[in-house]
Amino acid sequence: MKKYVLGRVFRAIIAVFVVTSIAILMVYTMIPRDNVFREDTGQMSKLSGDPDALSDFKNNKWEQLGYLDFVRQSEMCQSSSDYNACMLIEEEPYVDEYGQDMVEYHYSDVAQEVIDKYTADGYTVSYYVEGGFYATRDFSGLEIIVNFYKNFIYIDHPWKVEDPDNPDMERSIYFATDYNGVPALKCSGCEHNYLIYFDGSFPFIHQNILNLNFGSSYPTYQNSSTLDVINQNQGSLVSEERTLPNGSTGKTSENYHTCVYKQTSALDSRDQNKFPDNYANCKSYYKDPSMVSISYLFGIISLVLAYLIAIPAGVSMARNKGKIQDKIGTVYINVMISLPSLAFIYFMKMLGFSFGLPDKFPIYSFGDIRSYILPIVILALMSTASVMIWIRRYMVDQSNADYVKFAKAKGLSQKEIFRKHILKNAIIPIVNGIPSSIILCISGSVITESVFAVPGMGKMLPDAIKSFNNNMVITLTFIFTGLSIFSILIGDLLMTVVDPRIQLTAKGGND
Amino acid sequence: MEEKKNIILSVKDLVVKFKVRDRVLTAIRNISLDFEEGKVVAIVGESGSGKSVFTKTFTGMLETNGEVTQGEIWFEGEDLLKFKKDEEWMKIRGKKIATVFQDPMTSLNPVRTIGYQISEVIIKHQGKSKEEAKAEAIKLMERVGIYDAARRYDEYPFMYSGGMRQRIVIAIALACRPKILICDEPTTALDVTIQAQIIHLIKELSNEYGFTTIYITHDLGVVANVADVVAVMYAGQIIEYGKVEEVFYEPRHPYTWGLLSSLPQLGEKGHELYAIHGTPPSLFEEIKGDAFAPRSDYAMRIDFEEEPPIFKITDTHYAKTWLLDPRAPKVEPPETIRNLHEKMVAITAKGGIYGER
Repeated sequence: MKKYVLGRVFRAIIAVFVVTSIAILMVYTMIPRDNVFREDTGQMSKLSGDPDALSDFKNNKWEQLGYLDFVRQSEMCQSSSDYNACMLIEEEPYVDEYGQDMVEYHYSDVAQEVIDKYTADGYTVSYYVEGGFYATRDFSGLEIIVNFYKNFIYIDHPWKVEDPDNPDMERSIYFATDYNGVPALKCSGCEHNYLIYFDGSFPFIHQNILNLNFGSSYPTYQNSSTLDVINQNQGSLVSEERTLPNGSTGKTSENYHTCVYKQTSALDSRDQNKFPDNYANCKSYYKDPSMVSISYLFGIISLVLAYLIAIPAGVSMARNKGKIQDKIGTVYINVMISLPSLAFIYFMKMLGFSFGLPDKFPIYSFGDIRSYILPIVILALMSTASVMIWIRRYMVDQSNADYVKFAKAKGLSQKEIFRKHILKNAIIPIVNGIPSSIILCISGSVITESVFAVPGMGKMLPDAIKSFNNNMVITLTFIFTGLSIFSILIGDLLMTVVDPRIQLTAKGGND
Repeated sequence: MEEKKNIILSVKDLVVKFKVRDRVLTAIRNISLDFEEGKVVAIVGESGSGKSVFTKTFTGMLETNGEVTQGEIWFEGEDLLKFKKDEEWMKIRGKKIATVFQDPMTSLNPVRTIGYQISEVIIKHQGKSKEEAKAEAIKLMERVGIYDAARRYDEYPFMYSGGMRQRIVIAIALACRPKILICDEPTTALDVTIQAQIIHLIKELSNEYGFTTIYITHDLGVVANVADVVAVMYAGQIIEYGKVEEVFYEPRHPYTWGLLSSLPQLGEKGHELYAIHGTPPSLFEEIKGDAFAPRSDYAMRIDFEEEPPIFKITDTHYAKTWLLDPRAPKVEPPETIRNLHEKMVAITAKGGIYGER
């Protein structure tokens, strides 16, 4: 069993990486790379008058995103025999045939050598309008994938920080109490001040040692990593009276558990006042839950609701097979299955709207229960039909089993037989599907979240695709794939709990 | 049949009909039968003769499309067929009349422990606490021959072999000390050695617990071995009834002759085994005369015209055939089954029970 699970986990991880790699390849090679700037209109209009700055900006961004290797003239000349000669640009003014004043640029022989060398290495050398040159080389598909995973796993350790202005920094991991007096594992010399800490927000124990790095989000949610975008709380800042790291109390919105190292040269006097050390770069507390939490919240509540509705409904259909309950249930299932989900969502939205429920989440936003009702009810109802149909089917199947006949002969009442014997058998395949349903609820809420403008992870995927936020698309692909694969594993493990006959073994059923 | 003995269950003029795809099938046609307390009664007959349906009416376990349209079943001063609700049946079913089914592999709930399934009945019918029920269940398990019962209490049915499961099924059936145990082909799904063990176990337990056993079987070897009384069923009727010796050694109904002639034990090397030709009549149509007449080698004209009454042969032996009418010609049973006793003794002299070969 243990061996089997380990094997499954191992294969699951490989599968997730394969899927993610395919996503990376598709996103990076099949979508025109100019598209990533389409949503960044501010930057584009600012640079539209300056073609050299624009090409610099684009190449920088592409390099950052991992499309290509961008080498500036100065970097190219580092490798030449004579740096200054290489950097030299001679200007030769001339007048073209339309009578315009033009400038022709000439480069030294040393520069020409470097250019030839880079060209020979597979680089494309281009020239700026205002003089000067640079080289670019597009990465192959394989290089793109390798580069993506090169920095994928981020491990924090006491030799992580390099700060020339603070050479005597202590480098150690130690137990201490945090500013609230709660024990925590702290570190000096790491990127993060707190490696392991506890607080009041789910899942209560947090770590900063191992993190995954999916790159930064662009063009939407610029300058933060994609994981931060979906994991971090949203909305307005929350300021509260808190104990500051230096011991005094003050009103602040900063979450001191999240502080990372700030180079000494970047510390200002405020930082020095507030923080006893260099860990002065902190994230803030925001009012509203993160995208991930919203999606999970919606997913899990709606799923619980769905099962609360569907299991009794399915059981009652099975117990009253062929009677009115069964017929009504069948009509309901048929309607739910045949109706396109978008039509159902809009119908429910209209219906809810006529009862005074908001048709968009942000109208009342997080603080108001009314915001949640419609999306959750819709998500729940959409998954009831299939659960009902299966539970009914399994119950009916099981009711004809011999052990039911014998249970009846034992003198048990119909109710006892259903509750103690049939349900436990019929629930086995249902239990197997529960984890996948949770995932389906989260990733399947794409439409619902979009329709109601719920700021969750489901809505993030179409948003990211629309705005060509490559890293975000890959991050979400990774998360959804991982969740799906592991949910199937969890489903199988759950099955061994409810069905004693099922044992997972690595030997392929030969023992 | 009118004798004043200790009658525990009395069936009077029972008719059971089934609705099958808008047609009505008569499965039991006017059966009257008394069961004596403490006796082992075997009901034999071919598939579809109504054996199981007949006994299912005792516990109200007919399939939903079946219905008792006529008759009475008297048990402990009550007519069971007056019961309307399931609650009334539950006082009888499992508690007073228990049933053991054919296939032990599927009779137990696969996802509940053996212990749970036994003590469940004890808790339900005897109102005992969980601990008391467990202690009693373990005792019962030991009684039916499960070794190391305390440990095996928490095991699941799939961890038991077929024979052990049937022992558990018997233990469950006996958990409430029933007055009557119906064994619906209890050994059909088991191999021969296990069959003998299970039959032996039931016999032992019936002496110990003093219940009346009703066997349903088409294994005449089992019948000869365990039964006190045999009822032969054909097309929803009991066509011969009597003590086991009477039915086996002095059978009177041509169908019983056919059945006994078909015993594989009587087959001779090099000869084909005897088989009753033809098929049973369709129960969808009304049967005129003797139901067995079309297949009988001894049928007379009257057999096709009028249903025979039940003729009394001795105080304990009855048969439903016109051959017993004084006006009927004298016929002898077929050669194969004459001196059946001597033949059977010769076979069993090698050891084992009749059912073994």
